[in-house]
Amino acid sequence: MIDAISTSAKLSGDDKSLLFDQQSHLTHKTVLGRRGLERLDLLLLVVESLDLNAGQAMLWTSDQLGFQSRFPNRVELWKRRCHNPLRRSTRRGTIKASDSEALILLVCSMAYRLYPLLRQLLSSKEPNGINQERWNLFSERFSELLEERMNTRRGAVQRLLLKEFSPPLYRQLVLTLALCVGRGGVDRLRATLFDPKP
Amino acid sequence: MKDNPMLKLSYRYDQTSARLKVEGLPDFSRGQQEDSLGIISTWSLELIGSSQVEGKREHLQALMQVVLPYARHQLSGVKRLFGDSSKPVSIGPSKEGGHEITLRSSQDAVKPLKIFLDDAELTDLVRCLDDLRLDPRIQIPWGLSKEAPLPRNELAESVPFLRRIKASLIGTTTFILISVLWMMIPIPPEEPRLNPSNTSGSLLKQLN
Repeated sequence: MIDAISTSAKLSGDDKSLLFDQQSHLTHKTVLGRRGLERLDLLLLVVESLDLNAGQAMLWTSDQLGFQSRFPNRVELWKRRCHNPLRRSTRRGTIKASDSEALILLVCSMAYRLYPLLRQLLSSKEPNGINQERWNLFSERFSELLEERMNTRRGAVQRLLLKEFSPPLYRQLVLTLALCVGRGGVDRLRATLFDPKP
Repeated sequence: MKDNPMLKLSYRYDQTSARLKVEGLPDFSRGQQEDSLGIISTWSLELIGSSQVEGKREHLQALMQVVLPYARHQLSGVKRLFGDSSKPVSIGPSKEGGHEITLRSSQDAVKPLKIFLDDAELTDLVRCLDDLRLDPRIQIPWGLSKEAPLPRNELAESVPFLRRIKASLIGTTTFILISVLWMMIPIPPEEPRLNPSNTSGSLLKQLN
């Protein structure tokens, strides 16, 4: 699979400061709903599908963002993500507003690191064969992670795993990640996660 | 990038397939710093594979006012046109896939310019515009609304009609079916009630 740590752009001083500025958002009081949590966790799963070392990269990024006390290790991060009701081992109760905000910032900064890969996947200017191969690799890895971590009896998970429905859904997730890169991306992602159920 | 710190300012925002350049001056009447750009004299946008776009501040603002909400709606899966034929810029999903930006000149003789973008190019453009509007050195009010969750009716349009009404349809059908079945169960005939006064009367009659 793709090792994004070596290929992704490292956060420069300016970019880091921009992301640190975003910590003021941690004062948000609104609690993320069920659908928002599902999408947030799926986006982190997309990150894991693109980057084999994403688990470690997420911890490094959360350290860079100043979340050492919030996510000191992978288990704490995993516990927050387990609030997703689609998970195989789900946790009851709601996630704290500050925790969900931290996860939003983590998704955006991971998307920033992986932007070159996201861009490659979304570009129509890339050679067709190579791009198809990239999508196949990504889809395979993402499906594996879905089957491993999510409750496959849930309709939403089954729809994500169905071959005829999954390509546009996967593309939408990758596009979401690409559009939440950068300073404006955090606000965009937060707004979309709070969308009501249609 | 600052070309001439004395008077004219020029800032550039680069992404893989997009380059946005703005030139202007600080607005000293508003007490802006020397490196702040408060008046845009010209701007240019270069997109790889399409012609360079230039214009005044109003055109840049119009571009921002359609591209950024369009990107926000894309995140929620809503694909619709932003900006109509009366506006200088509009953006919507292209029939061939991807996105189509239409730029209209204020002069009638000039035909509208169409630019086709794929998803990667759209994200590059959005990043350039984000960098510009959030740059603390650019002191221009863009008139953009704050990012907010979309109203339910807008989201509903992106969901197919059948899927949207599926739950209520199943619920209503089940209710009607159960009601009909319930109505089909025969009601047991009511037993004649014995009136206590009549009963005692009849008993007395029998006794007599």
